[in-house]
Formats: sequence, C-alpha cells, structure tokens
Amino acid sequence: MGTSKKGQFCAAVSANRQIGRRCYRLSLAFEGTGAKAFGELLPGQFAEVDLSEVALPVMEKIPQDLRDASKREIILRRPFSFCDVTVQRNKTIAEILYCVVGPASLRMTTLSAGDSVSVIGPLGNGFSMPKGKKTALLLAGGMGAPPLLHLAKVIRRDYPKIECVAFAGAKTKEELPFKLRLDKASIKSGLVLDEFAKYKIKSFVSTDDGSAGYTGFVTDCLVQWLDECGLKEKDLIIYGCGPEAMLARAAEIADERKIDCQVSMEQMMACGIGLCQSCAVECKTDGSGETIYKMCCKDGPVFDSRELVFKK
Amino acid sequence: MGRSLTAESWFLRNNMMGKSVDISVDFAGVKLANPVFTASGTCGYADELADFMTVNKLGGFITKSITAAPRKGNAVPRIVETDSGMLNAIGLANIGLDKFIKEKLPILRKMSPAIFVNVAGQTIEEYTAVMERLAAEDAIAGFELNISCPNVKKGGISFGTDAGAVAEITSAVKKAAGEKVLMVKLSPCVTDISVMARAAVDAGADAISLINTFTAMVIDIERRKPVLANRTGGLSGPAIKPIAVYMVNKVYNEVTKSCGVPILGLGGIRTASDAIEFIIAGASAVAVGTWNFVEPQGTINIIEGIKQYCLRNNIADIKELTGSLL
Ligand SMILES: Cc1cc2nc3c(=O)[nH]c(=O)nc-3n(C[C@H](O)[C@H](O)[C@H](O)COP(=O)(O)OP(=O)(O)OC[C@H]3O[C@@H](n4cnc5c(N)ncnc54)[C@H](O)[C@@H]3O)c2cc1C
Ligand SMILES: Cc1cc2nc3c(=O)[nH]c(=O)nc-3n(C[C@H](O)[C@H](O)[C@H](O)COP(=O)(O)O)c2cc1C
Ligand code: FES
Repeated sequence: MGTSKKGQFCAAVSANRQIGRRCYRLSLAFEGTGAKAFGELLPGQFAEVDLSEVALPVMEKIPQDLRDASKREIILRRPFSFCDVTVQRNKTIAEILYCVVGPASLRMTTLSAGDSVSVIGPLGNGFSMPKGKKTALLLAGGMGAPPLLHLAKVIRRDYPKIECVAFAGAKTKEELPFKLRLDKASIKSGLVLDEFAKYKIKSFVSTDDGSAGYTGFVTDCLVQWLDECGLKEKDLIIYGCGPEAMLARAAEIADERKIDCQVSMEQMMACGIGLCQSCAVECKTDGSGETIYKMCCKDGPVFDSRELVFKK
Repeated sequence: MGRSLTAESWFLRNNMMGKSVDISVDFAGVKLANPVFTASGTCGYADELADFMTVNKLGGFITKSITAAPRKGNAVPRIVETDSGMLNAIGLANIGLDKFIKEKLPILRKMSPAIFVNVAGQTIEEYTAVMERLAAEDAIAGFELNISCPNVKKGGISFGTDAGAVAEITSAVKKAAGEKVLMVKLSPCVTDISVMARAAVDAGADAISLINTFTAMVIDIERRKPVLANRTGGLSGPAIKPIAVYMVNKVYNEVTKSCGVPILGLGGIRTASDAIEFIIAGASAVAVGTWNFVEPQGTINIIEGIKQYCLRNNIADIKELTGSLL
C-alpha cells in the first residue's frame, strides 16, 4: 500500500520523446507536495491524467486508422502507470511509457516541455516486493511493460540479491515497446532488452510472428524457461502485466506449479478513485463458489493471481 | 485546480466589499449551507471523495443507490465514453442495506452536508423495507427514490416511466419515509416529464430531482456488438445538459411553481454557469454527477462561482434566482 498522500497535482512536462512507431515516453515533473506523493509511488500504482484540453496533432500527423477516433471529444481522464520515478532535490520526475491508440493518447503526443497537465495520483496498490524469494520473473505482454520496468529498478535497488529475469512478448517486433540490443555480445549475455539491460537484467523476447526472439506467446517462452531453470518453485515469483488473456495463462501456469504470482489488471475506468464502480474485476471469495467484484482502481490494479476469475 | 487571481476577480472581490450574499437554501424543510449536492452513484458513500476534497463544504450529499440486499452489478465493460459524455451500466452495484448501516452511516453521520440516501429496488416492498430501516436515522435528511435507473432488468426505470406506477410507488413509500424528506428522481426517458412530476407530487413527494440518465447505446463496429456488456447504458455528462435544463424549466412551470415543491436539477453540470442555468430554469438546488470523475474538487469551485455570480449581479439571496427565467 502506498504511504504517500494521493491528490490532484499539476505536473510540468519535461520531455515527450517518440521511442517506437506508436510509442512515446513522457516525463512529468512534480514539485512541492506532488513531488513527495509521486516520489513515493510504488511500481504498479497509476495516475489519472487529464488530456481533454491538450491539442490534437495536425490532421496529416494522425495515423489513417485513428482519424475517425480522433474526432471524439474526450472528457474523462485516462489511467497510466509509470515506467520510472526519479526523486531529485526538490522535484520528482515520473515517466509514462504510452502507446497511441485513441483520442486521448493522440493528444498526449503533442505535449512538449513547458506544458502542464493535471494528474490525480498515485492511485491503487502496487506490486508487493519479492521478500524471501530468490528470482523474480517479470512478464510483459504488449504495452504491459511500463510498471515492470519501474519494478525492476526498485527490486535492483532494494533487493540487490534477488535475481530478475524479464520476458517480453508482442505480436510483432515493431510492437515491442523496447529498444532491442541485437549485437552478438548482448545476445550471448542475454541482455537483449535495452531498458532491462540497464539494470543488468537478462531478458527473453517473443513475438507471435517470430519477427524477433522466440516464436509464440510470451507465456510459452516462460514455461520453457521454467522447465529448464532448475530452480525451486517456492523461490520464484511471477509479476505479470499485459493483455488479460496473457495474465490468465500466467495465472494458470503459476497455479499449476505453485508459484506466487501478481498481475496488474486493466479495466475501463471513469474515475480511477473508487467513486463510480465502473472498473469491476471478478474475484473469488474464500471457500464458497461465490464470486464478488472488486474495483480495479482501488483494490488493484495489482492482484494476487489466485484471487482472480478470468473471463473464458 | 486552483486558478490564479485574475484582474477581474481582484476587482470583483474588492468592489464587492461590504456586500454579502446568502446562498443557503431551504430545501423541502432541510437547511442547506449552499445549493450544491453530489449526485447519486458518482461519489460512492463520500469516504473515497474525502481524499480529494472537503466534503463538508457541500450543501448536500446523495449516496449511491442502496438496495435491501447487496448487488454485484453488471458485467464489464460497464462504461464507455461518448462525445461530451459517457454511458454507464453499473447495474446498481452496492453493498446492501446492512453493510451500509454498519460501515457507511457512521462516516456520513460525522459530515455536515445534508445526507440523502438514494433507494432502489425491484419491488415496492423492497423500497419500503430499506426506507423503514433508515427512517429513524438522524444522520440522514431524506431519501431520493430511484425509479429511473435504466440499467437493471427489474424495477428501476419501469417504475418511473408510467404515471400510475410513479403515483403508486410514491404513495406507498411516503409512509415508510416517516419524517424524512422524500425526493423522487425522475427519468428523462418519457414523453412528458411533467406528467411524471405531477404524479409524484400529487402522491406526496416533498421534492423532485431530475434528471437521471438517458438510455443509449454505443456500437463497436469491428465486432458489431454493443460496447457495454449490458448492451445499453445511461448517458450522462455535458451532452445531456441542455435537455436537462429544458426539463427542469418545464416541470417548474407546469408542476412545482404553483405548489412550492423544490427541484434538484442535474445533468451535465461542470461549472457554476451550468449550475446557475438550472437554478434560473427553476431548480432550488443542483447536483453534480459525472464531472466529479474529472474534477473531484469541481463542486467547490461551483459553490464559489455561484457566490461570485450573485455578488456580480446584486443578488442578495440565491432564492431570488430560482425560476427567474424571463
Ligand atoms: C491501471 C492502468 C494502467 C495503464 N497504464 C498504461 C501505460 O502505462 N501505458 C499505456 O500506453 N497505456 C496504459 N493504460 C491504458 C490506457 O489507459 C489507455 O490506452 C488509454 O486510456 C487510451 O485512451 P485513448 O483515448 O487514447 O483511447 P480509447 O479510444 O479510449 O481506447 C482505445 C482502445 O484501448 C482500449 N482501452 C482504453 N482504455 C483502456 C483501459 N483502461 N484498459 C484496457 N483497455 C483500454 C479501448 O477499449 C480501445 O479499444 C493503462 C490502463 C490502466 C487501467
Ligand atoms: C457511473 C454512474 C453511476 C450512477 N449511479 C446512479 C445510482 O446508483 N442511482 C441513481 O439514482 N443515479 C445514478 N447515476 C445518475 C446520476 O446520479 C445523474 O442523475 C446523472 O448522471 C446525470 O448527471 P451528470 O450528467 O451530472 O452525471 C449514475 C451516474 C453515473 C455516471
Ligand atoms: S474507475 Fe471509478 S471506481 Fe474504479
């Protein structure tokens, strides 16, 4: 649980760089109470960003397939998690890795240094730390990577003895939200994903079409690794973030092998702060076969995978 | 969001020195410090909101709909954004009466805004059961009768779209409400909202709130399916505001003006100007719903903005403004 006081803050944009075809990295600077609150943000926590007053790119710069969507007036804030948080002397820089998928994320691309945005956060519960474990497995599907990058950094800093291994999957190489290091030395050492290599974390890449790394789902890649790793299940923990089908499979694998597993869920959110009940996630109750709905924004977004009932 | 002091607001503040404005209202016998409520289902039971704003600054607070037994609510997706609005099909998910009394009422009891408990049900008996249990609670000022929820299979809107049914349920629950104010929340999904308002007032409603959401649909054209799991949902937000203002004015002119029953106006309010439109149209108080999701402190700006408007226009008492449409 976050100890910091959540609230509504004005953040200054300090950078907004394109890092992939439809993928950007936005740096937000918080000062004062915002710097304190976001300085304590735990990996997996998120924030609600108001993009309704941010301009759209000029029409020529809007990808053809998003032109209809770009016409939609937006009013609701959008939830984003963070890929990195850096506390400086009197400010905190929190970074968002985002993918352009609709009207709000399109608007996000036009933010530039000096602009400001209204941010509500930090929200929800983050990942719990891998205390007592020997190896943390970070499983990222599609755009599910951002909070795992932050988690990798925090584990490295606070639990340097715990080994981390990253698995990242996407449909194609193009859709991997990472820079790949494909030189011989990097491949040999397993330091393929630049962002994880930075923390000296080995990584495995998979693509559905085989355009990079393992051909198939990232969860299949994980199973192969688990079969060959020779480690005890109780020493492992899986952290998953990505599409629900991937998380469902990860939960199954964890269950079969009795490995602890935490996953970060996504739901459509109107408020992000527990007011509206829109973000229901189906959960098991103790004993009886009954299920209940928990709120992704408040009770999650990180859940113990054993708790969840995934859609078939 | 805090706005910096502009030259205009500096001038106003100084020019208005010595003048005062009374924005308190008497709402069906309940004294409100100001005419601004939060709307049912958009601020939970107030505890979540308290992290982001001073709930005690509100004139009134309306709880999420309460039913006799807890309700899980609908499958997801439960919401989808639309142009200047959103659809919701939460399905009256709520913790149920017992848990409400045990866990939420003690929190609400400590708060200064007038607390209205929104009550929903599938049968008249269910509504009465909830109200009878709460009628003796001094923590609450009144009930808001939800006969206008579009997102449940039974009950809800089916009570609110037929004048006979409106009259029947209103008079049936009137006794259960005891001394508490009985406010009836109307659905806009009717041919003539005045007919429903008239039925409620004649059957004993002490106040009328309007409007609830419009039944609507958004289609995912790739899947050729509705986006919401419930297929349809209720449209709220700025998109519905002009219709809501019109309906408040219609009900005011045709029903409530002559009998003095107050209207709580809502639908798409984001700013003080929006709220003032409703008041001029005939509302004695207003409620803010969807906008809380975007600006949890928005209601506080609205209260301040109403005060400023009154000062600017030499309105000593907000009550002068209700129904002042020329
Ligand atoms: C807790 C949480 C953390 C998130 N972190 C990130 C992040 O770090 N980086 C990132 O790029 N995105 C993240 N998202 C998703 C992000 O909120 C959406 O991409 C964004 O809201 C899209 O807005 P839009 O107007 O551009 O597109 P829209 O038109 O609103 O949506 C485009 C498509 O994305 C889907 N979508 C929209 N919102 C969500 C959602 N909340 N969950 C699942 N699907 C959704 C829609 O169904 C639609 O198909 C996160 C979501 C949640 C709930
Ligand atoms: C997510 C959501 C949940 C709602 N839940 C309820 C409810 O439980 N009971 C009720 O009477 N109205 C409910 N409403 C309707 C609102 O109280 C209000 O009548 C409507 O949204 C119009 O106001 P707005 O445009 O300011 O949101 C809900 C609205 C939203 C958006
Ligand atoms: S998004 Fe509103 S309760 Fe979770």
